[in-house]
Parts: sequence; C-alpha cells; structure tokens
Amino acid sequence: MDGTKKGFTLVYNLTNTLMIEIQNLSFGYNRKKLLYKNLQLSLASGNIYGLLGKNGAGKSTLLKNMIGLLFPTNGTVTVNGFTPGKRQPSFLETIYFIPEEVYVPALSIERYISLFSPFYPAFDREQLFNYLEKLDVETTGKLTTLSFGQQKKFIIAFALACNTKLLLLDEPTNGLDIPSKKRFRKLIASIMHNDRMIFISTHQIRDLDNMIDQVIIVDNGDLLLNATLETIGQKLSFKTVDDIAADMPVLYEEDALKGKSIVTKNTSKEDTKVNLEHLFNAVIENPAITKMIFKN
Amino acid sequence: MSNTFNINRFGWLLKKTILERPAQLMGLSVLTLALSFVTYALVKILGGIEDAQNASFMIGLIGGGCFLAAFVYNQFTSNASGSSFLTLPASQFEKWLCGVVITGVCYLALFLVFFRLMDIGFVSVYHNSLDPQSPFYKDQYEAVKIFAYNEFIADKAFIMFFNFAGAMLVGSLYFNKAPFIKVALIVCGICMGLFMLNILIASLFLNNVQTAFPYYLVWVWVGKERGRLELPDNILAITSITFHYLIPGILWGLAYLRLREKEF
Repeated sequence: MDGTKKGFTLVYNLTNTLMIEIQNLSFGYNRKKLLYKNLQLSLASGNIYGLLGKNGAGKSTLLKNMIGLLFPTNGTVTVNGFTPGKRQPSFLETIYFIPEEVYVPALSIERYISLFSPFYPAFDREQLFNYLEKLDVETTGKLTTLSFGQQKKFIIAFALACNTKLLLLDEPTNGLDIPSKKRFRKLIASIMHNDRMIFISTHQIRDLDNMIDQVIIVDNGDLLLNATLETIGQKLSFKTVDDIAADMPVLYEEDALKGKSIVTKNTSKEDTKVNLEHLFNAVIENPAITKMIFKN
Repeated sequence: MSNTFNINRFGWLLKKTILERPAQLMGLSVLTLALSFVTYALVKILGGIEDAQNASFMIGLIGGGCFLAAFVYNQFTSNASGSSFLTLPASQFEKWLCGVVITGVCYLALFLVFFRLMDIGFVSVYHNSLDPQSPFYKDQYEAVKIFAYNEFIADKAFIMFFNFAGAMLVGSLYFNKAPFIKVALIVCGICMGLFMLNILIASLFLNNVQTAFPYYLVWVWVGKERGRLELPDNILAITSITFHYLIPGILWGLAYLRLREKEF
C-alpha cells in the first residue's frame, strides 16, 4: 500500500510543475489581529482547486495574497517562482484574476480586445469568440450595456482566451443564471490541461460539483482541509441511512427524503461519491477531527 | 521583455489608459480648457485682459491639472477596476509613468498650446479694436501683450501646478474615494497652517507685521506705508529650489512608491 502511494507521488511530481508555494503565511488587515497564521500550502498545476469557506472566512484575502494585491505580513508566497507582491509584468502575464464583481469599461468587445489583449502574449482571439459563443454572450454593443451576468461571462471568456497558466476566480458563479452556471462548468472542464491551474473561490459549493479535483476549506483564516477528491473519498464516507446507530461517529448529518444523509469516517473502505456541501458542513462543524483524519 | 520598462508595453498602457475612458479623461481635459476660456472671457469684461490672462492661466493650469491628477488613478474607486488595474501586466513604473505623462506632459502641453492660441485670439481682437488714429494708440497697444510663460505669474502657476498636481497624484493613491476633495482639504489645511505659522514666526521677530507669505516675503508697516522684507538671495534660492523642484520631485516620486506598495 505504501509503495503504491510513493509510486503515485513520484508520477504526480513528474507530470505536474509546482505552481503555488505558500510558506508560513501570516496576514491580517490589522497587524494585531491576524487572519492567517503560519499557513502552509503547496499547489500544483494541472488541477482545478476549489477554495471553500463561509462569508468572511478569508477566501478572497488568500486569493489576493496569491496575486499580489495584498502582501503577507510574514512568510512567503511564490507563484511559478515569482513573488506576487512585486507585481512584475512577467508574472502578471501568466495569471488572470477575476474578482467577484468584474470591471468592464464602456467599450465594444472589439475595442476591449484591442486595448487589453496585447498585454497577454498567449491571447487567442478565435478562442475568445468560441468561448463567448459557448457562454452565450452578446457580442454587439458596449460592454456596459450588458447585464451583470453577461459582463461576468465576457470577462471569464476573455480570461480563458488569455491562456494564462494560473486562473483565479473569486465567486465566479455569483450573478450567473442556472444555464450559465452549467455552461461555465462545462467550459472550465474543457479548457483544463496539465500546464494550467484554476483556482476557484466560492461559498456556493454546489456550483463546483463535478468540476474540481482538489478541495481547500478555510475558516477564520485556518486551513481546515486540503485534499483531492480521491483522498476525500478514501477517508470519508457519504451515504444516506435510515437510522443512525448510537455508536456511529457521524461528522455531519442532514435530513433527506429517504432517511438521513451522513458523513462518517470511511472505515470500511467503501466507495462513495463526495458530496461537497456535506463535506463542507462536516469540516466546518468538526475542524479538529477533520484535521486528524486527513493528517495521515 | 524588461520587468521595469518596455516601450511597446508602455505604449499599450498609455493607449489603454486614454481610450479606456475617453469620455471621462478627454472630456475632463476639454472641460477644463472650456472653463479656462470662459474665465478669460468673463474676467476680460470685468477687469481687463491682463487680469483675464492671469485668472484663466491659473484656473486652467492649476485647477485642470489637479482635477486630472486626481482622476488619472481613479481605478481604485471600485474593487473590480482597482484589481484590474493592479493586475494588468505592466510594471509599476510604467503605470506610474503613465499617470505622470498624462498629467505632467500631455495635459500641460495641451493646455499651454490651447492657452497660447486663445490668448493670441483675444489679444488680436483687442489690438484690432483699437483706433490707429488715436493719440493713445501706441500706449494702448503696448499695454496688452501676449501672456509670457517665463514671467512672475506663470512661474508661480507652474510651481503650484507641479506641487498641487503631485499632491493630487499621491492623494489619489491613498484615498480610494473622492480623492480630489480630500486632498484639496488637506492641501488647504497645510497652506493655511504654513501661512499662520509664517505670520507667527515673523511676529516673533518683528512687531509691525502686516502679512507674510510662507517662506517668500513679509509685508511690514513702516509708519502708514507698507514695506516688503524679502529673504536674502542665498536663502531665497534655496526656497525657490525647494518649491520648484524638491517638493514636486518628492510628491511625484512618492506617487511611484505608493503605487508600488498599494494593497487593494
């Protein structure tokens, strides 16, 4: 078992270049009250990460530290060997950050492309129009005349067409209607490749279903979970039961149509589908136990 | 490509900055030029061409320059546009230089050309309105000249432009909301404070002070007449260098440092 595990790690390291390395990150908007204390995180390319947390948990703060909009109080953040805080062009052209509320100037799409695309060497115009079509974005008129959802989809399409190695999205599905969320998930899955990393921060957990490879959960600046869906499936069990036995160690339970949906430690090595929402609740309600389960 | 400066990238940035919000940036420039024109026309009627030249030059250069300086980094009024600006792949130096070029070069050049043309127009109209047969024609003709950019008023206006616009540039990077008003209040407060302090210091040494202009001259009563006390030449030279170059240099440079450390 151990040998297999080591073998897997070796292959993994050969095919994935480490992109984000966070060491002992401490950050606070007030020096006396730190939000993050000694955070450690290593993220590799080729994955779609879902950063989950409640409102005000520090998700956007972490993203902003990764792209250099905020500077760590202590510790270091490196992205592809760059220090984000220096905001060097050679670093910035490899990342694209989409904040929760997007900015579009009062320009036509053509004008926007002509003004913004030169900064991104890998920008592909054909891809942009392909993505716009897939996301069902209107391409006539000024961008400011589009609805918020359309504006957001335009920026997502533009960001994808920039072909940056790292794409960070803060609450990308906020403001999108249900068909658009579906299109967004499909598009993100279709553009993923080994040299790219997509980092999605959201509190709308269901929107990430069937999209992410790895889950990161933060709360009050504390990293509660950082694990692949595969690992989560191995360590936790998600099922629906009629009754909960008194001695059953349940991490989370919720009334369902046919009994109770529960999250427990996967002691019987059964294969169950990870329910992100239940996982999130289980981790938030049992941070210490979760950390212990995922430690080994 | 250099991480500090690349001419192509700077060109894209300058183009983007100007054309991204053409109605606002160019509209603001046109508005200040129009305000300068209106001021010239009104003050000319009320107080004559010389006063009109001075007032129009001051308002257009200092007022317009400050407005533009406060506006050139106005991306920080919203989280979305601020993030977009800071994460745009251009160096901090290029982003700073872009603000400096728009305010300190483009607007300045535009205003000086506009003002010269406007001034020539008004002065020509005045000269043409004179009666060449009049015995006072020569005196009247010579009484009104084209506004000189290298004389006292222009010099003071340039000093104020570079100082206040520099303060606005720095202030717009400190205050995300309503930087113009906030910086204007701070600058007014500082000027008022310096003015009062200067009077206080002058009053400690002289008991007949009428008024005092900060680090420049003091008016004193000599009987019923006023007399001016000026700084010694060597001290005046230091003061002059401080206001002409040192303070503006510090302010415009500070804008670069602030942009580098700007968190958003």
